Amino acid sequence: MTKPVIELKNVSYRYPDGTAALTDCSLALVRGSRTAVLGSNGAGKTTLFLHLNGLLHPAQGKLLFDSAPFDYSRAGLRSLRSKVGLVFQNPDSQLFSACVREDVSFGPMNMGLAETIVRQRVEDALEAVDLLDSADKPVHNLSYGQKKRVCIAGVLAMQPELLLLDEPMAGLDTSMQEHLTGILDELHSAGMTIIIATHDLDFVYSWADEAVVLQQGRLLAGGSPTEVFGRADVQHELGGEPFVAEIARSLSLLGIDLRDKEYIPRSTRDLLKALSMHSTKQEKCI
Amino acid sequence: MLTEQSAYTNRWRQVSPVAKGCFACSGIVAACAAGSPRAALLAALIISTVTIVGAGIPTIRYLRVAAPALTFLLASALSLLVSLDFDCTTGGMPFHLAKSEFPRVAAACSRSLACLAALLFLALTTPLSDTISLLRRCKVPDTLLDLMTLCYRTLFVLSEAVHETMVAQSARLGYATARLSIRSLGGLTANLTVQIWQRSQALHLAAEARGNDGTLRFLENRYDNSWQHAIIAAAAGVLLILFVVIL
Ligand SMILES: Nc1ncnc2c1ncn2[C@@H]1O[C@H](COP(=O)(O)OP(=O)(O)O)[C@@H](O)[C@H]1O
Ligand SMILES: [Mg+2]
Repeated sequence: MTKPVIELKNVSYRYPDGTAALTDCSLALVRGSRTAVLGSNGAGKTTLFLHLNGLLHPAQGKLLFDSAPFDYSRAGLRSLRSKVGLVFQNPDSQLFSACVREDVSFGPMNMGLAETIVRQRVEDALEAVDLLDSADKPVHNLSYGQKKRVCIAGVLAMQPELLLLDEPMAGLDTSMQEHLTGILDELHSAGMTIIIATHDLDFVYSWADEAVVLQQGRLLAGGSPTEVFGRADVQHELGGEPFVAEIARSLSLLGIDLRDKEYIPRSTRDLLKALSMHSTKQEKCI
Repeated sequence: MLTEQSAYTNRWRQVSPVAKGCFACSGIVAACAAGSPRAALLAALIISTVTIVGAGIPTIRYLRVAAPALTFLLASALSLLVSLDFDCTTGGMPFHLAKSEFPRVAAACSRSLACLAALLFLALTTPLSDTISLLRRCKVPDTLLDLMTLCYRTLFVLSEAVHETMVAQSARLGYATARLSIRSLGGLTANLTVQIWQRSQALHLAAEARGNDGTLRFLENRYDNSWQHAIIAAAAGVLLILFVVIL
């Protein structure tokens, strides 16, 4: 078992108005993994992310980075936030500068890096999200999807080890979502640990290594997506299961078992492939 | 928003803001140094021609941007020139043209025009983010510049919020009658107040998340041939000043 990069141990948090947003949450994330955090609106996903970035202090319990407890001193937070990048849900509330390139430079400038390094990182980050063309445009003339990518670039330019994305797919059209998935795949293959809060069950099923389900601030389930989505209480809480999982189950009831030893199709493409393999196998038998 | 568009698309977008700032300042100095209204008017004409021809701002757009300021100038000139005469015993027009005021009004107007032209030159050719980084180099206090940055950005965010709220209100007949309009405007104001508060909270959080602990620092745009451009602009500025002084 690899050592977790970031850990929550029995974390509880209450907002000043008394809302219990997190209750006794424990969680460990492995370096380089892809984790999805699921839960209905108000389940505590954003609150969880604010904790991971050190923006909120847990009322009870503690958080660990590389097995060391979070250091909430000024310097400690600075170093934590340069390692844990957080992209908020609403792009308009996190873009400061009117100019794309300037805004992306905000994080690395805060880290106190030399100008040449900042410049390089900004270009790299803009290239990673495919926004070099719009680098000199004013932010308010960009589309929603482009603004979202500026936000991601702004965090990537800090070169964090962990990337937290709060509902990145919300409000994006299908092609933008695919584009973003592509960016995420590249980041993952570059070794980044990625955590995403989302409502998109199909995306989670095909993308994530780990799925975590929150229910009113409590951890309902955690584990591999197949395992988590197989649970009845999770299906009840999320109001269903991924399309592919549902189809595969219906097919198996009809006697078509697509599961091949360890292999379970997790995306539509995999499902179709498994189906065609299954039919060729059947033909051979006949 | 027209200013904004021009600032990002004009022909001199890639010219260093130092050069543009230099020229605009010279314009203002020239306006103050001008010996006669004629000289100041000429300065205004030269600067606006430079803006329209040099930076390639369409004349119509230039006039539209200048229009509010011009209207204001016209109104104030008229109010200086024309005085109402309520003493009706003399009969005739109740208006009274103050002829003796004419030279003073002419001087004030022509100077204002030249200053306006100089400011418009800067506003129409330089994006505000460049202007702010220029001011930063001129050692303007950080707090002031941070305020400018945030106000500028918030302007667009809020104008969008206002627009969206108003559309939503209209869709439910919020502005169908005068009575309803007043009600809806009240609702809009209340709603905006809350939104401003929430957004400022969110911005603060987002700044912290990206490791900020005070002043907003950004990378400055880099410009090629910055020095050459600045020297040319300074030379042009000096010429302009000499020209209006001699004239
Ligand atoms: N600033 C706040 N003050 C008070 N309560 C809050 C605040 N932010 C969130 N909450 C409450 O905390 C709970 C969890 O919210 P959140 O973490 O935003 O959920 P999610 O991101 O999963 O939708 C909700 O009940 C929400 O109403
Ligand atoms: Mg949320």
